[in-house]
Amino acid sequence: MYIPITVDHIARVEGKGGIEIVTSDEGVKEVKLNIIEGPRFFEAITIGKKLEEALAIYPRVCSFCSASHKLTALEAAEKAIGFTPRPEIQDLRELLYMGDTIESHALHLYLLVLPDYLGYSNPLAMVDKYKKEIEYAMALKNVGSKIMDYLGSRAIHQENVVLGGFGKLPTKAQFEELRRELKEALPLAEYTVELFSKLEQYEEVTDDEMVHMAVKPRNDVYGIYGDYIKVSDGFEFPVEDYKKHIVEKVVEHSFAKHSFYKGKPFMVGAISRIVNNADLLYGKAKELYTQYKDLLRYNNCFANNFAQAIELVYFIEKSIDIIDDTLAKWPVKERDEVELKDGFGVSITEAPRGLLVYALEVKDGRVNYADIITPTAMNLAIMERHVRMMAENHWQDDPERLKLLAEMTVRAYDPCISCSVHVVRL
Amino acid sequence: MENEKVRIGFYALTSCYGCQLQFAMMDEILHLLDKAEIECWFMVERDSDEDREVDIAFIEGSVSTQEEVELVKKIREKAKIVVAVGACATQGGVQSWGKDKELSELWKTVYGDAHVKFEPKMAEPVEKYIKVDYKLYGCPPEKKDFLYALGTFLVGSWPEDIDYPVCVECRLRGNPCILIEKGEPCLGPVTVAGCDARCPGFNVACIGCRGAVGYDVAWFDSLALEFKKKGLTKEEILERMKIFNAHNPKLEEMVNKIFEEGE
Repeated sequence: MYIPITVDHIARVEGKGGIEIVTSDEGVKEVKLNIIEGPRFFEAITIGKKLEEALAIYPRVCSFCSASHKLTALEAAEKAIGFTPRPEIQDLRELLYMGDTIESHALHLYLLVLPDYLGYSNPLAMVDKYKKEIEYAMALKNVGSKIMDYLGSRAIHQENVVLGGFGKLPTKAQFEELRRELKEALPLAEYTVELFSKLEQYEEVTDDEMVHMAVKPRNDVYGIYGDYIKVSDGFEFPVEDYKKHIVEKVVEHSFAKHSFYKGKPFMVGAISRIVNNADLLYGKAKELYTQYKDLLRYNNCFANNFAQAIELVYFIEKSIDIIDDTLAKWPVKERDEVELKDGFGVSITEAPRGLLVYALEVKDGRVNYADIITPTAMNLAIMERHVRMMAENHWQDDPERLKLLAEMTVRAYDPCISCSVHVVRL
Repeated sequence: MENEKVRIGFYALTSCYGCQLQFAMMDEILHLLDKAEIECWFMVERDSDEDREVDIAFIEGSVSTQEEVELVKKIREKAKIVVAVGACATQGGVQSWGKDKELSELWKTVYGDAHVKFEPKMAEPVEKYIKVDYKLYGCPPEKKDFLYALGTFLVGSWPEDIDYPVCVECRLRGNPCILIEKGEPCLGPVTVAGCDARCPGFNVACIGCRGAVGYDVAWFDSLALEFKKKGLTKEEILERMKIFNAHNPKLEEMVNKIFEEGE
């Protein structure tokens, strides 16, 4: 008789999920990612509500990427009402988005992933021996948080982003302070690349059929906003067509749905962005990408960790550039008037964990239809396949070892489980 | 608790994990380590166990599944002090905004006819199921809320509740009044202070994330009257106040009063 190998509550991820692996004499019979986080019905509760109020609650889908939710919902809403923000406001929103990504990547890499590789059960226990790493993690996290504090009102659930612009912009002195701190953080990000280049990439999860999806960045510069989605098989589609190419299904063991492209699982996230858009990187990140190209493997989900490290460098550099541009145009007007016309808008952006979809219909100033698909919901199907691959190679190992490897596979995706649960009209 | 380490548990129900993230992101947490033992905190500790006894249990999230009902009961049995953390645990969270609709309707909107093997419930505050000793308000709570509560617990004392609204802090900061001067539906007058009027400081009206001021002095009625004068309908007022107060037993009664009495 075989007892299933279960992880009831996967640690060091955002949200509540479990892993269940059932084996027999022949090998692995069943692998399930159980998503047990309760449902929150975000689309359903905002339908019929005033647009501004709905926009205030969408970031609450998730704390690790609340700014991404806020900004994506906002872009969908502004498209719906036919408003286009001025380019300098658009840039500052991208800067806020980068603060989110810098913080999120730093927390994921150092506090959630690194302990596994260094043999610790939690990051706080690493302080004695790896003081420098913990300090770097906190410093990188802090610079991302500060961008969000100044531009978004706080690091979690930003209120200072509104239809038409911002409630209030940071002062010139605050921008200069951010610039200085970003400069100081850059070497720490480069150290992160070096550190993660030395970690093992698990060969067992080599999936040559892996397909990656990412935004095709606007203005041909690696970034998070775009109007088309690029697939690593060469296909491209406008964001408005997302429903034709990202097909969601409900599965019984999860409050979150699974997503498919051409009937198959696909991946989104930092590695997917690099696979599709590496040629649009610039600066130090481009150099590091060229140097470490071999580690950025399209067919191994563990490469996602390393891709995040490269992005840390890139987003810090790009943040500095946006601040320089902003200061060159100073003073910048914080907000334009908007008119709540009826309409429908789709925005797909690159959240720290990958593609985030918001589709909103506005009628009489209220949300008439809402559809949200989160990166983790898109990744769940392929994540489950890769946990299975890991299990197939290690099912005869010590169960504790298998559990750890299965968890590490999940953690490589940096899942945001709260995010994935909520969801879409069928 | 004097010479031994304080045993801490951080538990998540249905939420965005923001309260835990706020807690984990405090640089001060590193100084706390000498004084505390983490028995359960899945977001950072792989060796977590919900069955262990703790001195202080922090609970984040709303009760939204049958499993979570059982979990909060278990936490109560194992913990000396239970702290409900954040808008979900204290007020049910934004997911309670849809409380006026049937759960089956919400389910159908999102999941259609699909079947999932877990049993969902309408989101509720922790207090609905167990006795809560202390509450930390906010979505998320401020870092200083955590530090104040922990600091007082660690010296064997008890933190005080804040019994005045956001308006007090807003006035102290010298912000223009968003409600009076700009006519926006700011919930500052009825919302528990402690955020240093964060949102009004950015020219954004308060949406009430820290919940209504306690001690039966949440002036839902006088604020509703003010909103009514500015042209908001009863439904609009209720919607706005319910973003974070859908479970407040006084809300509807007090707002209704304003509209029943007429002009």
